[in-house]
Amino acid sequence: MSISGNQAAIMMREKLNAQFARKGIFTGIFSGATWGLNSVLLGLALALVPALGEEAAIYAIPLAAACMNDFIAGLWLLLYNGGAGRFREIVRSLKTFPGLMVVVAALLGGPIANGGYLLGISMAGPAYALTITALYPIVGAILSRIFLKQRIVPRVWVGMVLSVIGAIIISYVPPEGGDSSKFYLGILFAALAALGWGAEAVLAVFGMSMIDPKIAINIRELTSGTFLAIFILPFIGGWEVISKVVTLPEALGAFAIAALAAAVSYLAWYKANTTIGVAKGMALNGTYVMWGVIFSAILMKSPLTQNLVIGSGLVLIGATLVAINPKEFFKKSGEA
Amino acid sequence: MAEMLPLRFRILHYISTVNKACADEIMKALEPEYGTEKQFKKEVFMDHLLDMKANFILDDNDVVLNGKGELIIYYRITDVGRTLLQKYLPKHWKQK
Repeated sequence: MSISGNQAAIMMREKLNAQFARKGIFTGIFSGATWGLNSVLLGLALALVPALGEEAAIYAIPLAAACMNDFIAGLWLLLYNGGAGRFREIVRSLKTFPGLMVVVAALLGGPIANGGYLLGISMAGPAYALTITALYPIVGAILSRIFLKQRIVPRVWVGMVLSVIGAIIISYVPPEGGDSSKFYLGILFAALAALGWGAEAVLAVFGMSMIDPKIAINIRELTSGTFLAIFILPFIGGWEVISKVVTLPEALGAFAIAALAAAVSYLAWYKANTTIGVAKGMALNGTYVMWGVIFSAILMKSPLTQNLVIGSGLVLIGATLVAINPKEFFKKSGEA
Repeated sequence: MAEMLPLRFRILHYISTVNKACADEIMKALEPEYGTEKQFKKEVFMDHLLDMKANFILDDNDVVLNGKGELIIYYRITDVGRTLLQKYLPKHWKQK
């Protein structure tokens, strides 16, 4: 049977759109893998920072690390965008309202969510704080449903919930008894972190309707790093940490390599969020906990406990459900 | 000339000024503004168009094959896209 020219064109368009979406799925998974690599590399870099006392270990070191990670990633992205002839796009984007939305997204996802995450862990303990912050893909999905009117099919919801349960199992630490006076405040901060990351994705995707994701992520990283450096680090002794790190070439190099992984990961995450929607983008990025387990086992010979294996398995099943529609998958292989 | 828009924004704006346009037509129209930049490539334009389509601010209902059997997609701005432009297009661009 011959197909009319128009039907052939429609089929070619469908193929092009499907290829584009598939590329988005892979970009999302890639963002998770590189984020897992960033966590492991950041852990290695932090081990090279000299001890500065218990107080510094809680706030100064983690926030200084977050600042260096974001800022240096921003510099890597500047090199990338400059090399590709997009330097002027950064300035142009910042002069528009959608560009400024990305700046707000950066503050929500950078200082506010990162700060909430650290304060949550120190006040409420990791058992509760990590469980709450692991919910961020679900928060992002709900916000994208409300504000971006993005449709989320039941299959993606189920996959996302399985992934989140897996992430909680992986990061689970038995709760410790102790000071409970700050417990609820800690829970609130952890919730703020999940809300911050979810809101970041939604706001950034909205801005990226009109500006290039490659530019948006560059603005995000530089904004977050600069804000932390100027408005947060001076008050918590964070600059003391950075001034130590810059005198140690090995530590500085380790942070720069970790930040390269962060730059690649964030670039992929922003692109995936735009192409396949916030819910899928966040769920696939959330596989980083599983990748973190894998990279730790390979690079640092960390032992694989039962919890890590079960949790990673759930993340994998969940992410697969998010990424692949079983019906289409089998139909396709049947046809081929 | 008014201050330049980010390329993605400008593509959306251009499509709002015509009934429909394919990548080659858009590139031809924007060449005087962005033609000397390294990002002025068909694949970059296609990526912007496919992303905006995925976000429902463009539609791609109109397709044909050219003489060589290649796919040509004509993009149109949707109501969602128009609302975005009305809200966020800088003032000096609206007067044009």
